[in-house]
Amino acid sequence: MTASTPPHLPKARLVAVGGGKGGVGKTFLSANLAHTLARAGYKVVAVDTDIEGPNLHTWLGVKAPRASLADFVSGRESRVENLLEETPHHGLGLLAATHGNLAAAQPSAARRAELLAALRELPCDFVFVDCGAGAHPANIDYFLVGDEGLLVLHPEPTSVENTYTFIRAAFYRRMQLAMQKHDVRECVREAMDQRNDRGIRTPLDLLRAVEEMDPEEGQRFAATMKTFRPRVVVNEVASTEDIKLGFSVRSVCRKFFGIEVDYVGYINRDRAVRDAILLRKPLTEVHPESDAAVYLQRVAGKLVEAARNAGSSA
Amino acid sequence: MKPLSEMTHYDVLEIQAGSPADEVERAYRIAQTTWAADGLATYSLYEEGESESIRERIELAYQVLSGPDTKAEYDRRLEPGETEMDFEEVDLDLQFVDETVAGPSVDLVPAEIEAFDDAADEGGDTEWTGARLRRARLRRGIDLEKIAEVTKINPTYLQYIEQDQFEDLPAAVYVRGFVVSLARCIGLESGQVADGYMARLREHTPEKRRPPGRHARR
Repeated sequence: MTASTPPHLPKARLVAVGGGKGGVGKTFLSANLAHTLARAGYKVVAVDTDIEGPNLHTWLGVKAPRASLADFVSGRESRVENLLEETPHHGLGLLAATHGNLAAAQPSAARRAELLAALRELPCDFVFVDCGAGAHPANIDYFLVGDEGLLVLHPEPTSVENTYTFIRAAFYRRMQLAMQKHDVRECVREAMDQRNDRGIRTPLDLLRAVEEMDPEEGQRFAATMKTFRPRVVVNEVASTEDIKLGFSVRSVCRKFFGIEVDYVGYINRDRAVRDAILLRKPLTEVHPESDAAVYLQRVAGKLVEAARNAGSSA
Repeated sequence: MKPLSEMTHYDVLEIQAGSPADEVERAYRIAQTTWAADGLATYSLYEEGESESIRERIELAYQVLSGPDTKAEYDRRLEPGETEMDFEEVDLDLQFVDETVAGPSVDLVPAEIEAFDDAADEGGDTEWTGARLRRARLRRGIDLEKIAEVTKINPTYLQYIEQDQFEDLPAAVYVRGFVVSLARCIGLESGQVADGYMARLREHTPEKRRPPGRHARR
C-alpha cells in the first residue's frame, strides 16, 4: 500500500520534541513521528540536538553518522544541508548530534540561532527537533523555537514533576525574551525563583505584577502568554487513568499557571516498541499495525492538520 | 485566563455555561481525579493545603449545578458574558477519554473492535445497529453500568439496545430517548444515531406489536 504523495507544505514546519525527564520517549516519538510522515509521502528531516546522549540515529537505522551537528558547532561545516545524512527510509533525512566526539560542545546561543534559521530553510515539509532531557537553556531554546512544541510525559510522578518544571522554565524564558523594559525583565527573572520576595508563585501572579508595573508590557505579556501553547503527549499509558492524565495536566496548567496546553494524544505501552529498537528500526516500520503505531499515527495526523491550518491562515 | 476567584461554577468544571446534567457529572468526576489530594496531575505543584481551595470550589460548583433547582436558579442569575472562557471541543479521537466516566483499565483495544476501522465504523451513513453502538462504546472504554448510572436508564434496556433485542424494549418513544442518551454519553452525533437506530427498530417490529411493548403499560 503506497500512499500517494500529499501536497507539500510551503515552508518547513519545525516540530520540537522535549520534556523534562530523560527516558520518557522523546527520541522514540521524534523518530517514529518523522518516519510516519515520511511514509505518508512528506519530506522530513529529523534533527538530534541531544549532544550529550545522541540516540536518534539508532532509531533511524544509521549506525555511524558521517557528519553531525558537532561539525556545525566547531565550524568545520557551515552549511547545514551538507550535514544531512541519508537514512534507509525514503524521504527521511537525519542530522545527527555527534559522531564519536565525547568533548563535543553545545553550540553557543548565537550558533543555535543560526542553526535554527538554517533548519527552517531546509527544502522539506517537517523538521523534527529532538531535544535533550532537562530544563537546560539550550533545550528550552530548541523547544521554544519550534512552530510546535511537543512535551512527552510519562504517567509517573517524576515525569509529571519535571514536566511542570520544564513548562515553567520555558514559559519564563519566553516571557523574558518578549519583555522590552529592563525592570520588567528583571521582575520576570526574579519570579523564576519559586521563593521570590515579590510573592509571585505562578505565571498568573506574574501577569498581575507586570500589569501593575507597566500596562503596556502587561498587554504584551498577556498576548505572548496566549501564543505559548505546548502540546502534551502521554507515552506508555497502560490504563484509562493514565490516558486521563493528559486532561488533568491540561486542567492543572489552565487553573494553576493560566497556560493553555493541548492534549494531542497518547501512546500505549506496547512490547512491539522494544522489538523495534532491538532491530534498530522505527516501530512504524516494523509493526505498523501495533497499537502504539496506530496511536502514533493519530498524533502525526494532528501535526499535519496543525501545519495545514497554519499554512492556510498565513 | 481568570483567577479562581473570578471563575463561574461552569469555568471551575471547565464546561460551557448551561451544560446539561450528564456533562456536569462527567466534568465533576474528571475534576475530582485531577485535584485529588494525592493525585498524580498536581504532583510537586502545591504546598500542603494549597489545592484545598480548588477542591472546595469544585465541590461547591458540583453542589449547585447537580441540583435541578439550584442549577436553574444559578443559570438565571448568570450574566451573559460572565463566562467568556472558551472550552474548545476536544478532537474526536480524544473525546472518548473525556467522556469516559470511570472506565475499565488496561484493555484499551478489546478484540471485538480490533477488526474495524475506527473512523469508518463511526462515520458515514451506514446504519446504526446495536453492535455498532457497542463497538463505539468499547472503543471509549466505557462500562454499560456507568452509562446506566449517569443516564438513569435501566442497564438491562441498554443491553437490549446493544443486542438489537427489539421485542424486549419498551415503547418506541422511550427507546428513542434511551438511544439519544446512550449516544450522547459515548460522544456520538445523537440525533443521527437515534434516527438510524429507530428506523431499523420500526422495520423489525411488526406493526401489530406496536405500541404495547410489554414494559410500557399505560
